[in-house]
Amino acid sequence: MRTLNRGLWLVILTLGLIQSAYAILPIEKLDSYKGAKVFLVQTKALPMVDIEISIDAGDRYDPNNKSGLADMAAGLMNYGARGDKGVLTEAQIADEIADLGASIGVSAGGERAIMRIRSLSRKDLRDRSVQLAATMLSSPLYDAKILEREKQRSITNLLEAETKPEFVLDRRFKKLVYGNYPLGNSPSVKSVSSVSVSDLMQFHKTFYRGDRIIISIVGDVDRVQAAEIAQRLLKKLPQSGPAIAALPTLGRSPIEGLSEREIQIPFDSQQAHIVMGMTAIARNNPDYFPLLVGNYVLGGGGFVSRLMSEVREKRGLAYSVSSYFAPGKDAGIFQAGLQTKNDQATLALEVLSSTIAKFIADGPAVSELVAAKSNLVNGYPLRIDNNRKLLDNVSSIAWNDLPVDTMEIWTKQVEAVTLEQVTTAFQKYLAMDRMKIVVLGAKSKASP
Amino acid sequence: MRSNLLRFFFSLLLVSPLAWASAGNPPQTHEFNLSNGLKLIVREDHRAPTVAHMVWYRAGSIDETNGKTGVAHVLEHMMFKGTKKVKSGDFSRLVAAVGGRENAFTSRDYTAYFQQVEKSKLEEVMKLEADRMSNLSFDDAEFDKEIQVIMEERRLRTEDNPSSLLNESLMATAFMSSPYRYPVIGWMNDLMNMKAADARDWYRSWYAPNNATVVITGDVDPQNMLRLVQQYYGVVPPHELPVRKPQIEPPQKGIKQVEVKAPADSAQIAMAWKVPRLEPGKLDDPEPYALELLTAVLDGYDNARLNRVLVKQEKVVNDVGVGYDMISRGPELFLIGATMAKGKTVAQAQMSIRKALEELKQKGILESELKRIKVRILSNQIYKRDSIFGQAMEIGSNEMAGFSWKDIDYMLEKMQTITPAQVQAVAKKYLVDEGLTIATLDPQPRKTEVAKGSK
Repeated sequence: MRTLNRGLWLVILTLGLIQSAYAILPIEKLDSYKGAKVFLVQTKALPMVDIEISIDAGDRYDPNNKSGLADMAAGLMNYGARGDKGVLTEAQIADEIADLGASIGVSAGGERAIMRIRSLSRKDLRDRSVQLAATMLSSPLYDAKILEREKQRSITNLLEAETKPEFVLDRRFKKLVYGNYPLGNSPSVKSVSSVSVSDLMQFHKTFYRGDRIIISIVGDVDRVQAAEIAQRLLKKLPQSGPAIAALPTLGRSPIEGLSEREIQIPFDSQQAHIVMGMTAIARNNPDYFPLLVGNYVLGGGGFVSRLMSEVREKRGLAYSVSSYFAPGKDAGIFQAGLQTKNDQATLALEVLSSTIAKFIADGPAVSELVAAKSNLVNGYPLRIDNNRKLLDNVSSIAWNDLPVDTMEIWTKQVEAVTLEQVTTAFQKYLAMDRMKIVVLGAKSKASP
Repeated sequence: MRSNLLRFFFSLLLVSPLAWASAGNPPQTHEFNLSNGLKLIVREDHRAPTVAHMVWYRAGSIDETNGKTGVAHVLEHMMFKGTKKVKSGDFSRLVAAVGGRENAFTSRDYTAYFQQVEKSKLEEVMKLEADRMSNLSFDDAEFDKEIQVIMEERRLRTEDNPSSLLNESLMATAFMSSPYRYPVIGWMNDLMNMKAADARDWYRSWYAPNNATVVITGDVDPQNMLRLVQQYYGVVPPHELPVRKPQIEPPQKGIKQVEVKAPADSAQIAMAWKVPRLEPGKLDDPEPYALELLTAVLDGYDNARLNRVLVKQEKVVNDVGVGYDMISRGPELFLIGATMAKGKTVAQAQMSIRKALEELKQKGILESELKRIKVRILSNQIYKRDSIFGQAMEIGSNEMAGFSWKDIDYMLEKMQTITPAQVQAVAKKYLVDEGLTIATLDPQPRKTEVAKGSK
């Protein structure tokens, strides 16, 4: 325990910023096929392979009044397809996946639809898994009866979610921050009800095609096998299709008076839920690293962040409090939030606001910057130490169009961040008079 | 062990035994017992230069007494509030400085603490973890703030969460005497009346090397680990543990029902039957394995029986799930939970669940259904090795329930020998009304109008 007696920061300085000598597995970019990009990381230790297919077909392409269409188009791929030998029912698909000891699933997020395959790498099993996935991806059945059932289930889930504080808060906040940008929309009973089989067919035909697809593969396969996998997955999909209208750009959250930026939602939960945030950056923004490091200090660093210290450790106001940037491919936001019992909502919002305001104004202390970089650099190996995490990284790098050596230079980029860069970047992108605020809870006014 | 599991796999998949040579070396696991009673288990995994370090204490809510429920979890929070040598909050700051990820969790059966770090940083965090095994020291003011945080945690996870409220009532109804009736987070009133002294008592009672198991997985050398663990944990003195009363739950003599009203849109039903768990030293008892397989036959994949019939064909429920874990310290339940489809009642759902179970009891299950489940169990043995943290979790939770990590492969082999008739037999024997508890959620509208005078 000797080192502990010498003062915390000395210890941190001694331990910090030692460039580890471990080798980072390279990302191999394979020849594109049918316009799709293909990336591979070979890991041979376990006889398994993880494959992710990203399709630029997320919720943001939902037509007006059809929120939920992209989600349904992806989700229903699990429930029926037209194979070479006729129709594969949802039961046959599920049984085959189980028999192979594999997992295959498709779902849509805000930006992209994602199919994930996990299979043993033995050739016969892998081939069958990939073949099945290819059929699901390229030839979904979109059966009318199953659509009806899934719409009902989706609506039931939606109505249930509307009784939950976190869902109601998040939906309102997203609308407030994104405005008319497509990520501000969320499904309603009406929009889900209106989705038809022909909508699904049309959506699939328009968006599911080679030039909108990225395939990431991690595991026990070589380049030749990986190329075969990609070709098999894309075999029945077109390379391209009709032009698709460009998405609008997300305008910066404007300066507004508090009454225009802040929304109160009366809700009879025991806790008030509070969120605040505004538009920020996309992942490929050069200020990504200063903001990442800075936010670690503000509210990203788990138990050691300023928000955690002010809200939880010093005042016992909340169990969880955090802030983060959510940088997407084309747009991104910053948000911070907490939950506290209703009669503390005013105080908690004050502490949240003043902590963020102070950080924007003054930036981190030198010791905080050192601690943040120390954590991020020393902890980097934990972000890439298994196949699943590698796949997440490769897929994110590919989707956001980042350099293939991103994992190799990541820690250097963190180390290079200066105090001035953090302060400048926070002041450039965040401003208290632009922050949207949503307070949901039993009291209607957060301010006295 | 490995070769046996793989042989099962071949027989199920019926394909040529190629490629299994590349299944990699079987994981090397080592066990050491220190003279102060601490057990150390090291699993080598050299794929990446990282390590998971966990300490498991055999003290969970099952060891609590009425009036002090939640104290195991409260102490878990207080463990970050300083020792004689480390100031409050510095534990987390020091772990963060070396790039570590850390947290802790409390269950009915145990409390566990962990850090994940790059391997050269392990010694730093081990030093800290060993320190708080016997040197915890927090003042009352820290406790007074942290108990507020814990009440917020309860509000977040339970008070405002109808599924949690339902589960809490289910457990408290199903069990009369077993401490499994307590929620892990504790009753709100017990939290309100908890004192720093209660947490300190708990710590002094249960936190000792002779009640702890250290599990280390990752890119480490076992002899080096033994040396470090002896250096840091080896110096902690053991002490006598409190006597654990068996508190065996008396046999249930008939159906029990409970209703919960809470803000929600859909009604829910939970049906829970008293069933046996696997007992240490009785690894050949087929019933727990048969119950595990029954769980998977009903709910193990998208086309499993309950999802297929109740969600897809009859459309009586929106979601259905089945829970059973044969590995636990206390009495087990076989649980079926469902959320109603729009316009359907819990009575209809209950009838459909009963019908599906009745059919299984009468006609049994197909060999092909069981084979499918067994394939998944085996393939998961490969997939689980992708996560060193997952492996540490599996080892630790088995050890806490009184099993050895060495039993895990044997249990999996045993699972492969279970027949359709044995699965049918446990369904007939245990899924009967005599041992059944039913909890239903009666959804209430949210009152969204503003309370008077606050507008």
